[in-house]
Amino acid sequence: MSEPLLSIRGLRAKVDGEDGEILRGVDLDVQRGEVHALMGPNGSGKSTLAKVIAGHPAYEVTAGEILFEGEDVLELEPDERSRAGIFLAFQYPAEIPGVSIANFLRTAVNARLGEGEEMDVFGFQRTLTEKMEMLKMDPGFAARYVNDGFSGGEKKRNEILQMAVLRPALGVLDETDSGLDIDALKIVASGVNRLSEADEALGVLLITHYKRILNYIRPDRVHVMMAGRIAESGGASLADKLEAEGYDWLHRAVAAV
Amino acid sequence: MSTMTAGPAESTLAAADFDTLAGGLTEPEAIAEARTAAWERFTALPWPTKKSEEWRYTDLAKVGFEALTPVVPAPATAEALPADVRDVLGRSGERAGVVVLREGRVAHLELEAGVARSGVVLCSIRDAADRHPEVLRRALLEAQPGPAEEKLWALHLALLGGGYFLYVPRGVEMPAPIHAFHIVERAGTLSSAHSFVYGESGARAAVIDEFLSGDLDAETVSLHGATITGEGGAGIEYVALQRFGRGVKRFSTQHVTAGRDSRVVTFNVALGGDLSRADITSRLDGPGSDSEMLALWFGDSDQHFDHHTLQHHAAPHAHSDLLFKGALTDAGSSVFRGLIRVDKGAQLTDAYQTNRNLLLSEGAHASALPNLEIEADDVRCSHGATIGQVEDGQLFYLMSRGLTRRQAERLLVFGFFDEVLGRLPMEGVRARVREAIEEKIGL
Ligand SMILES: Nc1ncnc2c1ncn2[C@@H]1O[C@H](COP(=O)(O)OP(=O)(O)OP(=O)(O)O)[C@@H](O)[C@H]1O
Ligand SMILES: [Mg+2]
Repeated sequence: MSEPLLSIRGLRAKVDGEDGEILRGVDLDVQRGEVHALMGPNGSGKSTLAKVIAGHPAYEVTAGEILFEGEDVLELEPDERSRAGIFLAFQYPAEIPGVSIANFLRTAVNARLGEGEEMDVFGFQRTLTEKMEMLKMDPGFAARYVNDGFSGGEKKRNEILQMAVLRPALGVLDETDSGLDIDALKIVASGVNRLSEADEALGVLLITHYKRILNYIRPDRVHVMMAGRIAESGGASLADKLEAEGYDWLHRAVAAV
Repeated sequence: MSTMTAGPAESTLAAADFDTLAGGLTEPEAIAEARTAAWERFTALPWPTKKSEEWRYTDLAKVGFEALTPVVPAPATAEALPADVRDVLGRSGERAGVVVLREGRVAHLELEAGVARSGVVLCSIRDAADRHPEVLRRALLEAQPGPAEEKLWALHLALLGGGYFLYVPRGVEMPAPIHAFHIVERAGTLSSAHSFVYGESGARAAVIDEFLSGDLDAETVSLHGATITGEGGAGIEYVALQRFGRGVKRFSTQHVTAGRDSRVVTFNVALGGDLSRADITSRLDGPGSDSEMLALWFGDSDQHFDHHTLQHHAAPHAHSDLLFKGALTDAGSSVFRGLIRVDKGAQLTDAYQTNRNLLLSEGAHASALPNLEIEADDVRCSHGATIGQVEDGQLFYLMSRGLTRRQAERLLVFGFFDEVLGRLPMEGVRARVREAIEEKIGL
């Protein structure tokens, strides 16, 4: 098999300037075209892993490596990682008052095209409209300020809109399903599936607490994070087991080690 | 009246006497008198020093006024529109008229025929002195600057002759703005221009003053004065868009007089020059008057911007709202010093003053000094100022979408400015200001 899309080895990380480790030796491989679900109790380190992959400056990696398409990304700035093809749909997206979605996304699209190759306004507008239609978003949304005053569900949909416009090689979706009503969940899930169909090599790391979304986006692998480590990995049926039995059995297993 | 075109008086300010300043021009009496008196006041007054509160952060001693060559503007000429002006106009929305000034001299002036027929007057200050001496004199006398600005104001009046005069008669609503371009080309000069805007009762007018130059290789000073008057129920929108090149130091003194139930919006944008100071006074002169004062600045390199404001409530039931926002990077610096003054009789005043600053670099520095002076007892006033940095969470969010740190910061500045831009009533004017800001911050 060719090199994985994403390969994480022995990753340890903590909040910069503080003591306690949050990630305590994470190993994870995502192949091109695969969907991996990452589950686990509150506070186990899922969002921290997502943010470390994206290069959040609040965290310090103390050991291990993250290879993306075979390249070490730990030395890359967040914007370089993004332009290389990593996308993070945030659990809590930032609000940017005064900056419209259209203006923001056009800047982001042009940031990955070379100077002089910028997309013209009309071409961009066409792409944006098309993606918004796919996600059944009101066209007026493009003029709204990024996440400013958005409902929880609107924020999540806006994250997937950005993914659709930016076309990454890897999408890390951090609880994109929480806060979505059942219709919105279906729309967002089918949006992600459409992106996978359009790009068969797209890798997805889907962080979630609920099996619900996995009925729409079928995972190839399911992992459970406990106290900063991947404690268990399995097929799609692992999600069923977690839904039925919770994390207790894993807590006991981890404690027994 | 002489038709000869004056160049710079062939002497420095230090060596100049009033006759050399006049440059051999014969001029209308109203102007000659005002200028003579101003010159005497200018020579008698000392330069304000850093000891005065108003000039504590902007050191006039560092400006070599004495070595500059004063320019006394000659009578208007009729030149073709310069290419860069045509370019801006081509991208701007509708307009009712255009004025081009070179070191204060009116070089081009046009007013849409329909607007002229409705009684609107647009001419050079010189012509106005001939044709409307009383109106001009009254406006200039009423604009009594505070002691801190008196020296520069006197110098401005001593050089008076440059600039334009816009008069909108009772009930006339101008359909589009007047767009004026103040061009400075000659390095080492001291020039001055006046923007005179007057709306009779019920009149509507909008003006955009754009200040521009190339990068000049010697210290050059551009003085500017504006008197903006709205009679009862008038609505006036005034924008000063300063995008001088390097080498230019600019001092603008603006006086707004808002009559009963009138509404006057001023919007100052500082982007260019080495030093840019604006003293802006809004006098709420009639009950029910409304003054909105807005400003934006973006400073980089070692640019220094200084905004000094007075919201003077002289009448009851008036409303004033000031919102100034500035962003700085590199070693840019800025000062905001604002005062709300409420006279004893100005009951039921509603007055607000907010200054927000965004610093993008360690070397940037902003000072904010909001102040209140209230003699009435039944008023609603608030003032506040903040100085902060961009939020890390926002920065990371934008960078995680592929924007470089610089792009992300600049986009955040744009977002920060948007609230102020959104308050400009005329869409065409707003678009022009937005474009100029975009050009400066380089998104
Ligand atoms: N920037 C930070 N500063 C301080 N503590 C942090 C920071 N980021 C994460 N932590 C701590 O690290 C632990 C893991 O947090 P993280 O957000 O990664 O958990 P999670 O698995 O995503 O939880 P949830 O399911 O609730 O979203 C928590 O105890 C959290 O408080
Ligand atoms: Mg989380």
